[in-house]
Parts: sequence; structure tokens; C-alpha cells
Amino acid sequence: MSTALSQRVLHEYAAVRDSLPAGVVSPERRQEAIQALAARDLPTTREENWRYTNLRPLERVRFAPAAAPGSASSPASGAAPAAAPPCASDLPARLEGFARYTFVDGAFAPELSWPVEHAALSVRSLRRDAEQHRAAQGTPEGGSQAHSRSATVTRLPHALPALSTLPEARLALLNEAFATDAAVIHVSGATAELPRVELVFVAVAGADSGASYPRVQVALDPGSRLMLIERHVSVGAGANFINASVHVDIGRGANLSHYRLQQTGARATWLDTLSAVLAADARYGLLTINIGGLSARSTIHAKMAGPGAQLTLSVAALGDRQQVLDNFALVEHIAPRARTEQTFRGIGSGRARVAFNGKIAVREAAAGTDSRQSLRGLLAGPEAEIDLRPQLEIYTDDVRCSHGATAGKLDDNMLFYLLSRGLSPEVAQRLLKWAFLEDVVSKIEVPDLRRQIEHDLAGQMADAAALKELL
Amino acid sequence: MLKIENLHVKVDGKEILKGLTLAVPTGEVHAVMGPNGSGKSTLANVLAGRPGYEVTAGSVTFEGRDLLALAPEERARDGVFLGFQYPVEIPGVNNVYLLKAAVNAARKHKGLPEVDAFEFLTLVREKMRLMRMEESMLSRGVNEGFSGGEKKRNEILQMLVLEPRLAILDETDSGLDIDALKIVANGVNTLRSPERSLVLVTHYQRLLDYIVPDHVHVLVKGRIARSGDKSLALELERRGYDWVTGEAA
Repeated sequence: MSTALSQRVLHEYAAVRDSLPAGVVSPERRQEAIQALAARDLPTTREENWRYTNLRPLERVRFAPAAAPGSASSPASGAAPAAAPPCASDLPARLEGFARYTFVDGAFAPELSWPVEHAALSVRSLRRDAEQHRAAQGTPEGGSQAHSRSATVTRLPHALPALSTLPEARLALLNEAFATDAAVIHVSGATAELPRVELVFVAVAGADSGASYPRVQVALDPGSRLMLIERHVSVGAGANFINASVHVDIGRGANLSHYRLQQTGARATWLDTLSAVLAADARYGLLTINIGGLSARSTIHAKMAGPGAQLTLSVAALGDRQQVLDNFALVEHIAPRARTEQTFRGIGSGRARVAFNGKIAVREAAAGTDSRQSLRGLLAGPEAEIDLRPQLEIYTDDVRCSHGATAGKLDDNMLFYLLSRGLSPEVAQRLLKWAFLEDVVSKIEVPDLRRQIEHDLAGQMADAAALKELL
Repeated sequence: MLKIENLHVKVDGKEILKGLTLAVPTGEVHAVMGPNGSGKSTLANVLAGRPGYEVTAGSVTFEGRDLLALAPEERARDGVFLGFQYPVEIPGVNNVYLLKAAVNAARKHKGLPEVDAFEFLTLVREKMRLMRMEESMLSRGVNEGFSGGEKKRNEILQMLVLEPRLAILDETDSGLDIDALKIVANGVNTLRSPERSLVLVTHYQRLLDYIVPDHVHVLVKGRIARSGDKSLALELERRGYDWVTGEAA
């Protein structure tokens, strides 16, 4: 299966490669990525760390990028006509104090964006930069690629990291090869006011007309701070194919709060790779709410590269119907005295499968590592499945690693207690599911965002109750 | 108000209640006493509708309706309240939220609009003062981290706010020191009225010093072995359960 699939990826790449923007990823780098992908193949469920993912949609999707609605240039020539472009009212409500940058099918949409000036903050769309640069040079659209490439590459504040060789991260290669834009966020130093940025990735195109490649590069200089919200949503009922790649680089003593909300449409396939590198004493609070899509897979690879780095990784996943929500997280402790706190809360209703595979690797030099892992799953449907896999790989003696993983059903005593107070079974179950997610939801430090998420979670649960009545 | 006739109940295939008959008229307080394993808690739970209790014979009518045909939440909305022997901790579900959801469920059932948030909080605060509970307990998870005594006081608080027609208090006195017992009893007494009935399930006579019952029943091996007025409780205290169990055997 996979080899034929890889062949098709190569074929589709060859067909569109000349129209892919060089300012986003250089042609050399794209070529390198596509060759690496061809050599290593796309993942299959026969591989240990992919066994819970639903990779079947890959067989049907078109890998070439969708034409962003409203955008003049269409990299995927021959694609089906794009759906109507989304408008501001299609998007989640804006949050006060946050700049918003919206990307539609992976390409920057300035008309849906509200930038905010901040002395230490720079947020750019590489595609737009390249276009503006071309315009300033008087080069016509579609002009010399070599020219635009040399112009934008020199303006990159941070070089891209080497392509990951981690088998779990190879879907990032697909993004690398096909990306049509990239959001590049750079915080250059400490400021009194915390910079707040929201990225909204909107998928519109159906998988038959093309894929969406959200791409984010975040770099925090030493001592700087950033609060980042990253949302993935769908507009319309298309079966989107989304392949996101996020790279985070947190400098010495810098602090990043990163909220990721996966709320794509009911037919969407969402594949995601996030890699993060933490320097000495860096702090990274990464909180993911994974509730959308038909098939979602998130791969997180965090490297604790500097002594004293701290990572708080919290994931809540709420699956219903036939959703497959798979989460894989590898935290590598390379430097000494770093701390990781990992919390997963997953609920499976209907016939959903919700998985968390969390691996913590402590290398020889990582003495004094302190890691805690708490994974809990709740089976809220007779045909639902929860898979929890805590993995520890320790190569040094001086460590403190604790982990716990439990999966079970709603507590009968709790349920009866609520019923005995007059609550309906539906409300009682919703309340208990709610309570279960509290360990993650309560960590959201932006009150407006927390309210939004609570509302969305409640909505997801309400749907579940309504669906059950229909069946 | 409540009429239990020839009730037989099995738990895990074992018969616990073996033909229990009991009538509690409106406005009365009845105490059901009995040794361990006599079926006291089974009676309380089966009246509230806890799953796992199989009624094999007999009937229970509440205000003329078949109580056993109702789901637990319907019984609650109709005004049946169970004070739990072991109140459940539910971290993440806020106390005040549960109270409000419970009140609104009953109001909706009666065709009334939702309770006004401000008036509701005022009422809850007043009842909390009566139960000598810290206001901070409202925003905590249901019974989360509460001491045994706090949990029991929280049960009575819920009862005071819900104002049931029939309250069944399952060993509400167990695990309480004398001060907490007085607070709990005081709370229960404020709810006594000609329209309301109370069933106190208890092992010890002590609670009945503070909540004086109209009738006392002794439950032995799944049946009411003896009924009387409050002096029966005092006699039990003096002579021990052996006195009745010996007779029943």
C-alpha cells in the first residue's frame, strides 16, 4: 500500500513543484524532503507508534495543495473550483488582546487578520513577504523564482532545523514538500507586555480538490515570552485533508504558552507534527484540545536540550461517532535537571477511538530529570475504544519518573448521586465527562479562551447526547 | 404519603428485604432502626432507585403513585430525597452548580421557570449559615476533600435547598461528633412540617434525642419486627438489638 502511495505523492509533487512558492520552502529543501519521504515511505498502521491512527484517508486524498480561495495564484492547477472563501463570521470569536493571523487552506488571508503592533514581536507570512518583495522589485507575478528565493531566504531570522529523522515525524516531510505558506513568529526580547498571537488555520477545500498545509515556525529569543493560540478549524462541510507542521524554538529562559485547538470539521483528516526544542531554563506550556475531525493524529516531539528546561504538556481529547483521535508524544531529556509534566484526559463516546501514546526518553546526560505522566481515559460508549500507552526509556540512574495510566467507565456511584438529585442521565453524564476534563481545561489561563473551549466541549457533548437519541 | 407493602428485594441474588410493610403518613417522622445487615440501607436505596436492587415482590406507593415504576431522577423531581450514608465525591463538578441543576430540574418538572440566580445564591447562603458551612465550599467540587462531617452537612444543605416532600436519611448520624450531630439535627428539624415526611434510618438511638420521631420501627432480617413510639428507641438502647432479634428468630 505504502509504496504505491509514495509513488503517487512523488507524482503529484512533480506535477506541481514549479508552482510552489520558493519563498516558503526552497526548492532544494522541498526536493530533499520529498526524497526522504520516498526513501522512508509514508507511515502505516503496522508500525508500533502508528497503530492507533486512521491512515486510510491517505489513499483517497489529493496531496497537491488546494488553491486558497480568494488568492490570485493557484499552485494546484487543474484542481476543482474552490469553495466560497470564508468570512470573519465563520471564524471563532476574536479574543481581546490577541493579534489574529488567519490562513485559509494554508495560505495567509490578510482580510481575515488583525495584526497588533508589538515592539518585540514579528509575525510574517513567508508567501506574502515573497509576493511583496517581488512587487517592490517590479518583478511580475510568477517571475524569476531564483530571484524571489534569494531575496526571502536571506531575510529568514532563524534557519530551519535539519529535517527530522524521527520515524514518527515523517509526515512533516509532506508539509515541507508541499507547503504554500508559513507563519513565522519571532519574539526578539523581554518586554513588559506579553505578546499575544492567535493563528487560525481554516480548511475549506475538500480532499478531492487538494490538501491544506498549515506551517508555523516560532522562535523565542532568550528571556522573551509569548502567548500563542493555534486553532485548526473547517468552514463548510468538506472532507478536508490537513497536514500541519509546527516548529518551536524556545531560547534560554524564554517562556511560551501555547494553546492548540483542533476543531476541524466532522469529515476532516488532520495530521500534525510539532517539534520543539527547549534551551536552558526555557519554559513551554503546551495545551492541546483535540475534538475535531474524523481522523486526527498529532505527533509531538519535544527536546529538553538545555539544563533546567520545563515542559508542561496537557492534552484533552474528546471523541465521538466514528472519530479516531490519536496522540503521540515523545519527550526527550537530553540535558540535566529538566522537568516534564504530562497530562492526558481522553473520552471516547459512540464508536470513537481515542489514543495517547506518551514516551519519555531520558538520555545518559540527563541526570536529575523529573518527569510525571498522568494518563486517564474514560469510556463513555459501549463501542468506544481508549488506548493509553505510557513508555519510559531511561539511560541514567539519577531520575525521578512517575507515571500512571488508567482507563475506565463513568463511575456508577457518581452517576447515581447526580440522578438522585433529579438530574437527567444525559446531563449527569455530561457533567461527569466535563469533570473528567477539568484537569486539562483548568490549566487554560486565558479566561475568554477557557470559556470558548468550555462552550465548544459542551457543544461536542450535547451533540453526542442528541446523536444517541437518533440512533 | 409513603406506603410500602410486602416488599421483597434481592441484591446480588440474595434476598435482603423479605416482606417489609411500612406506612409513613404525611407530616410524620419515622425512624427505622436495626442491627447491621438487617436491610436498613437496602430500604433507603431501593426507595431512591439505586440500580442493582431487584424488587421481586411487593409495592411502594408515594402519594398514590407507583414509586418503583419511576426512574431515580423522576423520584427526586417528585420530591423524594435520599441523604446518602456515604456521600460521593465528584471532583470537577462544582457544588453550587449541582444545587442549581437539581433545583431547576425539579422546577422544570413542575412547569416553573428556572430559579433566579441571585435569589438562589441568597437562599443557599442562608441555609449554609444554618449548617455552619464555609461559603468557600460552594465553589469546590461536590464533597471534594470534605471531612465526613462536612459531607453529611452538605447532604442536609442539599435537602434544605431542595425542600423534598419525603426525605430518607440513611445513617446521617454515622461518623458525626456531638457538635456536628446537633447542627445536622437542627437542620433537619427546620424542615419538619405538616406537609413533609421524614424517614430516619439509623443504627443508634442518639440521633433521635435531637430529631424526635413520631414512630420507631425495628427492622430485623428484612422485615419490621416491632413498631412503637419514641420510647421503643430508648428501650432498644437499654436492652440491645438482641432483645428484638431473639424475638424475631
